[in-house]
Amino acid sequence: MKLTRRTILAAACSAAVLAQPMAAAAQDLPRNVRLVIGSNSTGGDTYQAAAIVAEALSERLGVNIKVDAVGPSEAFKAVGRDKRGTTIMLHHDQSYLANLYGVPGNPDPFEGYVVGPSLTINPGNAYLVPKNSPYQTMDDVLNAAAEGTRVRVAIQPGGVSEIGYTALRNAARMNAAGSEENIVPVNTGSQSDKNQAMFDGLADIINGSIQANEQFAQLPDDDQKAMRFLWITATPEVLQQGPEAGVGNLTRADMLQYAAPQTSVKLTETEDFTFDKRFFLIYNKDMDPAQMQTVDDALAAIYQKGDIQKRMLEAFFIPAYLPMTESAELLKGKRDAYGAIIEALKAPQ
Amino acid sequence: MDFLQFLTPMYLFLIFSGTLVGIIFGAIPGMTATMAVAVCLPLTYSLGLDNGLALLLGLYVGGISGGLVPAILLGIPGTPSSITTCFDGYPMAQRGEGEKALRIGIISSLVGGLISLAALFLFAPALAEFAIKFSYVEKFLIILFALTVMAALSDNMLLGIFSGFLGIFVSLIGVYDVTEGGNGQYRLIPPGTEYWLEGGFSLLPVLIGLFGLATILEGAEAGMPKGQSLKDIKVGEHSRFRWSVFKGQVVNLVRSSSIGTFVGILPGVGGSAASILSYTAAKTASKDPDSFGKGNPAGIIASESGNNGLTGGALVPLLSLGIPGDSTTALLIGAFTLQGIQVGPLFIGNNPGTWDSMIVAMLLANLVMFGLMYFAIRWLAMVVAVPKHILFPVILMMCVIGAYTINYGIMFDVWTLLIFGIVGWLAPKLKLEIAPFIIGFILGPAAEIYFVKSLESFGTLSIFFTKSWIALLLWALIIGSVVGSAMLARRKAQGQGAAA
Amino acid sequence: MADLFQVTVDFDRSHLIFPRLIGIILLLLGAAIAVSHRQAILNSGRMWAQTFGAMDKPRFIGTLILTVIYFLLMVPVGDLWPNTGLGFLICSIPFVALISILYMHERDARSLLPALIVAVVGPALVWWLFTYVFALTLP
Repeated sequence: MKLTRRTILAAACSAAVLAQPMAAAAQDLPRNVRLVIGSNSTGGDTYQAAAIVAEALSERLGVNIKVDAVGPSEAFKAVGRDKRGTTIMLHHDQSYLANLYGVPGNPDPFEGYVVGPSLTINPGNAYLVPKNSPYQTMDDVLNAAAEGTRVRVAIQPGGVSEIGYTALRNAARMNAAGSEENIVPVNTGSQSDKNQAMFDGLADIINGSIQANEQFAQLPDDDQKAMRFLWITATPEVLQQGPEAGVGNLTRADMLQYAAPQTSVKLTETEDFTFDKRFFLIYNKDMDPAQMQTVDDALAAIYQKGDIQKRMLEAFFIPAYLPMTESAELLKGKRDAYGAIIEALKAPQ
Repeated sequence: MDFLQFLTPMYLFLIFSGTLVGIIFGAIPGMTATMAVAVCLPLTYSLGLDNGLALLLGLYVGGISGGLVPAILLGIPGTPSSITTCFDGYPMAQRGEGEKALRIGIISSLVGGLISLAALFLFAPALAEFAIKFSYVEKFLIILFALTVMAALSDNMLLGIFSGFLGIFVSLIGVYDVTEGGNGQYRLIPPGTEYWLEGGFSLLPVLIGLFGLATILEGAEAGMPKGQSLKDIKVGEHSRFRWSVFKGQVVNLVRSSSIGTFVGILPGVGGSAASILSYTAAKTASKDPDSFGKGNPAGIIASESGNNGLTGGALVPLLSLGIPGDSTTALLIGAFTLQGIQVGPLFIGNNPGTWDSMIVAMLLANLVMFGLMYFAIRWLAMVVAVPKHILFPVILMMCVIGAYTINYGIMFDVWTLLIFGIVGWLAPKLKLEIAPFIIGFILGPAAEIYFVKSLESFGTLSIFFTKSWIALLLWALIIGSVVGSAMLARRKAQGQGAAA
Repeated sequence: MADLFQVTVDFDRSHLIFPRLIGIILLLLGAAIAVSHRQAILNSGRMWAQTFGAMDKPRFIGTLILTVIYFLLMVPVGDLWPNTGLGFLICSIPFVALISILYMHERDARSLLPALIVAVVGPALVWWLFTYVFALTLP
């Protein structure tokens, strides 16, 4: 159906040809499905992941799937209202992180909803410094904090952008108790706000992404906008699956330099903190399990075939399919681990 | 030499159809350029980068321009950025100069588009460099300057300013948006309404409620008088369009286009601010500021060259920093990443072919926009000859679609339309003024973020004066605008006193 | 001297700063209006009586009632055929038709026919365009 629509639109939206949707081939999934996503933007990574998955699923199952960028709280409401499987939600770790950080309007996806299969990972979450920064490694940052230097980190509070910052504070506390108080947030919004905070000299470190900030890292040293990667939070296993050429001038080997275990931010004495931004489905808790199984089976077949992987890698997504039960278990584990650090940091030591 | 190899028939066809569809989206109250780009974004994957961008840029230019048609003919802004076009365009249409107003608006759109394109083509990296000198402080002052138009637009200074602040207040209802830098907490929500109001009122349904539905309710209240006034849109000899309208307006055109371009360059200030600022500046600089809002062609010129000036400007930070200048260009990032192309400070150098293709697409889209709209004017103007009992229900239905689809399917936005339709109907009876109200509503959220963040970052109120020379310049403009409005109000009061 | 202007913003409570500031300004302006326009405010009862007296009540109240019914029905009707936009289509046709008839002055065949054609063709065309060509979600 998607292809037909595309051709029609490409023909200038003036063509008056239209085929009614064919009868659905899938037994258990409704013919018209709405995939709501936890982002308001149709230009961002959540929408892209959703578009790729929706296209593959609708082709496979022969149903129409429309992606609607309604944002997190409206998406939870929409999926919470609909038990028939006509509304499905797609979101990433932000869904439970926002809940852990206590941002209003963000319910716990593990309660009152069903966490479904994992689809893909965006490995881009990174922290950067100005090119002329005294900090060469994360250890420099931790040592500076231990010596009493205030380190200002620009983040968007309440989610994916904050979790690395939380881990950094946790590591600082392990390095020298009390030094976590020297790592302070600069609460900003979008990527451009974070960059601007760096240009204005308001932040020493900014949260960013490989995709959005890589070109700033290529700028000459004397450019005010020049940046340098300090830390990439993704796991080495995930980065290994990315294209060898990497993004721009940053090869896969370069990325691995900035990620664990080469660049280490401790979670516990023996374990490094890592964070992969994983995209997954969320269902209404009363949706028919047979329908969920249909989606799982369809996804398994799609990933088996292999076309979707190519499409994802082109846009620097790492394909990462996990069936529902495994996915929910993994995410729940992540949630509990991150929840523990957030709680621990709240209590004074 | 493979220069211009992208100029294929498909490319030209996509620019043409993109611009046409964009104009239609822009002209339908409630549909915006952003939405036009959003619905066509998935197509660009199969079209390839150059062709995909040709389509999207056509939609962008067309969508921004189409808004002037309903703004002038019906007094309903087709898009938020054509709000100030209503202020002078609709009064002109009401006195039978609709066709003239349309021509002025379309020519101004073209000029604005071309000037901003020239700025993009010639100075993109340098302008982006300048734009990053604008921190929260300077951005707040820009918004403050735009807000001074509330005073200038008021019939009664006190009531107008009250309406404007009320607009700001209403815009703050709901969550303090995390993605803009807020803390995600709720405020000003009456208990028990969190389910609907957590996200606050969306701009577009508020806008078409206040201007679209309210007009219809007023018509219904008056018993739908038969629309002779609307049929009078046909050209009278005295009001035929002549190029001489633009005599003495060159400064206005260039100034407004530059302001529009500049607002586009500043990420986060917002598209609607472009036309509001141009309008403020034109009114402040005018020898006859009192005639603004009553059908002065200079108002249309300022508004339309300002909002089309935005198009080239918003591409500057996108292509030279990887940061979108407005909500529509934010979607273009999606088109690039779908193709695996990075946008950032090195984009232009790394992708000269795509850069050329985008510039040519913008140029052609502007020309196509002009051609399509200029020669369709007589046709467009016929809209108002449609009997009200057919036109109004259809407009109502379109408003509902616009409200429902603007956030991809949220029913509360449709109810917002009704709420603000009633507000818009009540307002004149309560002597509240809609124009300052909507300006306050549009600019309120940005004013909040930049004000609070300035204090949060710098910790002192004096920063607004000491940050930079840019800040001082902006203060000069703000004071100029306020003093200008105050003097105008006093003259008006004296005039009334003398008459009485 | 500089200390006079110093402010510390607590991020967790920063959502209240601007609403309070604007609220205070509104109260001050409101008080000024109450004083300067007290005559008009005292006479507002008469103004409302006049407004309602001059109002075309069937058309005005009819518009409001039809609109509310239209909005209320759209979603439940659409829920019968989820994600097809049929709720919009099915509710819009009678809504446009009824509003047309309500606003009409001479309700004869010559006026009714074009209005009814528009009421059927308009929503159908729009529904087709938005659901299929633009793939947007309608109720």
